[in-house]
Amino acid sequence: MNFDITDQSAFLKAEAFETLRLVIDPELHVNIVDLGLVYDVKIDETEKLINVAMTLSSSYCPMGESILNAAKNCLEKHYPVYRTNVDLVWEPVWSYDNITDEGKRQLGLEK
Amino acid sequence: MTTHKQKAGVYAVTVTHYVTAAICFGVLAGMIAFSGSAFTGHYFQPRILAITHMAALGWGTCIIFGAYYQLVTVILETELYSVKLAWLSWAMLLPGTVSLVYAFWEFTPGIWMQIGALLLLVSIITFTLNIYLTATKARKQTIQEDFIFSACLCLCFTAMIGSALVFNFTGAFLLQGQLHYLRLHAHLGLAGWFLLTVIGVSSKLVPMFLVSSYQNRKVLQASYYLIISALVLFLVDSYIFGLNIKTYFIAIIGIAGIACYLYFIYKCIRTRIRKQIDLPMKHSLLSFILFGAGIVCIPFIIYYYRANNQLNIRYTLIYGIILLMGWITSLILGQTFKTLPFIVWMRHYEHLSGKVKTPMPSDLYKNSLLRIQSLAFAAFCVSFIFGCLVDSALLIRIGSVALLLTAATYLINVFIMILHKTRTYDEL
Repeated sequence: MNFDITDQSAFLKAEAFETLRLVIDPELHVNIVDLGLVYDVKIDETEKLINVAMTLSSSYCPMGESILNAAKNCLEKHYPVYRTNVDLVWEPVWSYDNITDEGKRQLGLEK
Repeated sequence: MTTHKQKAGVYAVTVTHYVTAAICFGVLAGMIAFSGSAFTGHYFQPRILAITHMAALGWGTCIIFGAYYQLVTVILETELYSVKLAWLSWAMLLPGTVSLVYAFWEFTPGIWMQIGALLLLVSIITFTLNIYLTATKARKQTIQEDFIFSACLCLCFTAMIGSALVFNFTGAFLLQGQLHYLRLHAHLGLAGWFLLTVIGVSSKLVPMFLVSSYQNRKVLQASYYLIISALVLFLVDSYIFGLNIKTYFIAIIGIAGIACYLYFIYKCIRTRIRKQIDLPMKHSLLSFILFGAGIVCIPFIIYYYRANNQLNIRYTLIYGIILLMGWITSLILGQTFKTLPFIVWMRHYEHLSGKVKTPMPSDLYKNSLLRIQSLAFAAFCVSFIFGCLVDSALLIRIGSVALLLTAATYLINVFIMILHKTRTYDEL
């Protein structure tokens, strides 16, 4: 996640992104940020709205609804002043390359 | 935020099927424990018929019905057509199975056996209708839909032949002997219903559980057409000519179809992102090995049958045991722990997830019990199958005890999951 010091909401964006690490994929036991499922977090200060663009590892994941709900619940709990909107996107398609080094370590892919 | 949502009421009907199947598995283990000597004789005898139908219907088919109701959103990418039809199917499946199995066990081929057969037939047709109407709502046609609907049709046909065999006990009207039709009935059940279901469902679930991106539809299409061709050829050829030299070639076509499917699974395993394979998935992988062992029996059965050697009876019995109690049972014992904890978890924690720390689905059952279950089941497979092969009453008895332990640990874990109370992480 890039940090732009000219953007007034940059700190909140980064903080919200980090907060999403609390959401754990129930099957893989790795958080959704390290799995690379979160593509973007945008803050709309005038509307007091947090917009999250995220994907799933599989389009027919039975836990998909739960993971999206968890992301929404998590941000609404930590930022009660803001409303949260989670958009499920399929472009770009999620792949192995999206997983962070920490995620790969937790999955046993890299030592 | 759109994914496929579950229809209201699906949870209760799914869980009811899982619990029914788990209890039937316990009863099945008890029936096997009390029938040791039956496994050293001919397979066409009351105890074996009762055990086979309890395994195929009460255990295998019941849990598959339940799993379908839950997984239909994943596999067919649409919601279940009717929960009421699902309940209606269950309400006839349970008494139908009990009635038929009891009538076989006591061997009273009268009204109870006939009522059981008819209840089962209506239950199966209701289930098939529900799946068909669900599939018609699906937005895109997939190879999984072909596998699943063909499997349902095979189940209907095998139930029809089974019902005809039951009525034939009291008023002989079939043109040929019971054993002749039994072969068709068994293979429509094993290769038609169970195999096509397993391929259809696992070709969606295995890549998902292993987080594999492998998606070769052509391999699955080849598998589908080869298996269907082999099944149809076998049914027609063996109905007219019985087992003959052509049966070897038909078996080769079927095995080629299975090989395509196993190649798909192998590629999923090789390209998986998740390197650690958990115990439930190991159970499932063991099932593929047992399936291979069952396939190995086929040439022996054909050879000894054609040679008029009594060993064909022994190998047919072992073939049935490996496929029903090995392959199917191992798959269910593993996949229960890849589906039921998630079903229960979504019920208890979906609304809490992200707000408070919650247990993970794998925290909802006792892993120590699952380990004992796995070891006991492995002991059952080795001891019981070798016991039947070498005609050893001691090995069969040891295997039966191991199966009782498997069933007990499985049942306890299922009830631990079903009776789970919602609690947050800190309370655990």
